Amino acid sequence: MDNIVEVRDLVVRFGDFTAVNGISFDVREGEIFGFLGPNGAGKTTSIRTITTIQKYDSGSISIGGHNIRTDYLEARKLIGIAQQNISLDKDLTVRQNLKHHAILHKIPRKDIDRVVEETAHILELDDYMDHKVMNLSGGWKRKASIICAIIHQPKILLLDEPTAGLDTRSRYMLWDLVRMLNARGTTIFLTTHYIEEAEALCNRVAIIDHGKIVTKGTVDELRDSIGRITVDTTSDDGKRRMEYFPDIATAKEFAHTLGDRLYNIRRTTLEDVFLEVTGDKEGA
Amino acid sequence: MGILDETFRVAWGDLVYMKGNMIEVLLSSLVGPLLYLLAFGFGVGGNMEDPAAYVKYIIPGIIALTTLSATFSTVSMKILVQRLFYMSFDELLLCPIHISAIILGKLVQGVARALISCTILLVVGWLLSPQVVISPWIFVLIIVASMMFSLLGLLAGMLTNKTQTLTLFSSIVIIPMTFLCGTLFDSSTLPDGISFIIYCLPLTHVSNLMRGLMLPEYSIGLDSIVIVAIYVAVLFSICYYMIKNNKC
Repeated sequence: MDNIVEVRDLVVRFGDFTAVNGISFDVREGEIFGFLGPNGAGKTTSIRTITTIQKYDSGSISIGGHNIRTDYLEARKLIGIAQQNISLDKDLTVRQNLKHHAILHKIPRKDIDRVVEETAHILELDDYMDHKVMNLSGGWKRKASIICAIIHQPKILLLDEPTAGLDTRSRYMLWDLVRMLNARGTTIFLTTHYIEEAEALCNRVAIIDHGKIVTKGTVDELRDSIGRITVDTTSDDGKRRMEYFPDIATAKEFAHTLGDRLYNIRRTTLEDVFLEVTGDKEGA
Repeated sequence: MGILDETFRVAWGDLVYMKGNMIEVLLSSLVGPLLYLLAFGFGVGGNMEDPAAYVKYIIPGIIALTTLSATFSTVSMKILVQRLFYMSFDELLLCPIHISAIILGKLVQGVARALISCTILLVVGWLLSPQVVISPWIFVLIIVASMMFSLLGLLAGMLTNKTQTLTLFSSIVIIPMTFLCGTLFDSSTLPDGISFIIYCLPLTHVSNLMRGLMLPEYSIGLDSIVIVAIYVAVLFSICYYMIKNNKC
């Protein structure tokens, strides 16, 4: 599988503060790649840098083989982005926003109306096309924003916290949309601080904390990296503790040593990996 | 794809909004200048020795003034809102569009508003004072001047992070320009120090040029042409630098 995004030793500073500190990763064509991290970890800065909005201090980024520093116009043609804050013109209708995106991305004029209608129909936005964006609910605003981002059929769609602040129903609606877009061939790079979102959607995940990637791989690889089985118990001071084991037999052996203490043997989750690698194991 | 084509692409959204809200756009652009014409032309001018001469004098000034009032606040506020609240300004930066086209595209709404408003005022002015001359060069000046003030609005919209700051900028720069730059009276009567400051402001030269084009007894100053050209070039360059270096 070819890499569509290649990031090497990326550093982004704001004055004395280093927001992104030497990260390297690839996004492969056709996958959903997740950037998981707590608030302030450097996710949005990374995504803004990849999309050429944010300048970077050192390192290199290429999109579809185009270096974004020297060849940013070509790189931008391959990118669609739905930002964390819904970046549509809220004075215009959904249809007008879609058309404007199509015009800005240089879709041939004769095709614009057809592309807008088809895209909206496939992604089930037809009923909202003539609503002003300002009058839509949060979930539909976000959906309209994502559809605007893919109107020019980018090779990679970057989603910055696509479901942040949304209710469960809207979140599931957007997960379905992300899966549908990926099934239609769009590579997706999303940032999230919702572990279950990364677990539900992503083929591969990188966990970022304090501007550094602390681990990356498929969800299974990440689970294996700390131990496939978790023994969940409580320490003497009443804090929740997790111990990880490669298999159920060793986990049970350990559990027997706990005596009367309550414990739970279960499959390791991405949340366990996240807490383990970000050092929040005890505070959970 | 040329810069002009890309400019239209950037301007499309603003023009659609303008088309859908034309009455609001016209009212907000015209009420102020028409009130100036009424209050100063007929109110203040009515007490003068030759009221008709004063009306004739202020018509070019009010048209010059409209190239500022129809553009600056609209463009600056729109950019501020698109940057800070709608986040749609970032979207532009992500499109395969040249920076020059982004700048020019963002000026189109201001220039269109100024052209429509100034044309209406020209007709009103000509009806009130048929001695004023109307030539194609007036429209060239309206376009250049409204581009200059739209650039100022774009810059202000990119520099400020609060609506209050924008209001403050209007209070200390735009409103004094409105009254003091030879729009409603001859600024050469002001004290020397103030006259020099007024001379350095762009609206002074737009007023001078407009008067030179519309009233046969006034000449067109080469210095005003040069100063307006310098303002356009400098403001465009600063906007270009800010967008290119992600300073907005």
